[in-house]
Amino acid sequence: MSGASASATLAALKRLGFTHVLSIPDSESRLLHAAVDADPELSLIVPCREGESVAIAAGLWVGGAKPLLLIQNTGVMEAGDALRGCGVGPRIPLRMMVGWRGYPGAAAGRLPIDSAYVYTEPILSAWGIPTFRLTGDDDLTVLGEMDETAARTSSPAAVLVTHGYRP
Amino acid sequence: MIERIDLLRALADRRSDEIVVMTMTTTLQWPLVSTHPLDFDFLAFGMGHASDFGLGLALARPERKTIVLKGDGGLLMSLGSLVTMGRYAPPNLVVLLMENRSYEMVGGQPLPPSVDFVQLAKAAGVEGGGSEGTGTVERIDTLDDFRAAIPRLLHEPGPHFVVLPVENHEPLPPVAHSDHAERVTNLRRALGAAHGDPERKGG
Repeated sequence: MSGASASATLAALKRLGFTHVLSIPDSESRLLHAAVDADPELSLIVPCREGESVAIAAGLWVGGAKPLLLIQNTGVMEAGDALRGCGVGPRIPLRMMVGWRGYPGAAAGRLPIDSAYVYTEPILSAWGIPTFRLTGDDDLTVLGEMDETAARTSSPAAVLVTHGYRP
Repeated sequence: MIERIDLLRALADRRSDEIVVMTMTTTLQWPLVSTHPLDFDFLAFGMGHASDFGLGLALARPERKTIVLKGDGGLLMSLGSLVTMGRYAPPNLVVLLMENRSYEMVGGQPLPPSVDFVQLAKAAGVEGGGSEGTGTVERIDTLDDFRAAIPRLLHEPGPHFVVLPVENHEPLPPVAHSDHAERVTNLRRALGAAHGDPERKGG
């Protein structure tokens, strides 16, 4: 697999009833970011950094909305305190799609671009956040599994996105 | 300078069904003047992010005001939040910045002396922000002026960002170590939000 299509991913997100998508632009998620921005049924929020995204998403959920965090693995690391404080600790079921920067190169046996690839899974695991892998359109069902897991456990859950999106 | 407990008491006296999110030292004093079910103690939910959380609440609940009581030290920890507030600018958000020029909660260490929070908020687009351009940024220096401004802040569309120079001469109660998940459950219940998620649209 070499990445899911942005249009199929957007359709899956809409079927799951998300109301808001919080996204800080990055190179891998740019096509999905643009697709969300162009869709009138979803509200796109673009904060300045990921810790903000997490806290805004927590406020949205407490208020009764259903937000999704599009966040790169480096952003997860920046947002650590917010993710702990606004998600894991208070058991707020934040749904996340985490761009796994460095995965394609590592999967091909090349040296990762930096250490973000290596630490992504261990960090999420240390916080007890269950993860699922999205490698292409054939496993878009993991979005539903992630969503159901977050609801059932009332805690954050994440899909690790292994490649950039296709149109 | 405004004595902080007097400021909080003045707000509590005029507040009705607004959500109040508070953090840091305000969490110690607000419960002395209010026990409203829509009070939310954000302490230890994430350094500097109280107004981000309040922004999310305001966007999700446009039918009521969300008031955020936060400190100037906390704002420095997430200055970008001013830009986000200016960009999305919900008219029902009120941020009251307790400007005491110190990290009071952790020992009173001074803030950089030249920071101008009014100018920062204006430059971030809060003033004139929102689809109707109703965002306001102001500094209120006296308790009487704050009392006079409360009806406008609570009833006129914003967002409103208010810098309030405060001091405190009252003994501070100890930190209440209440369960964070319970705080969330209580606020959702008070808002009438479901304990689970909103219904799914289809699959």
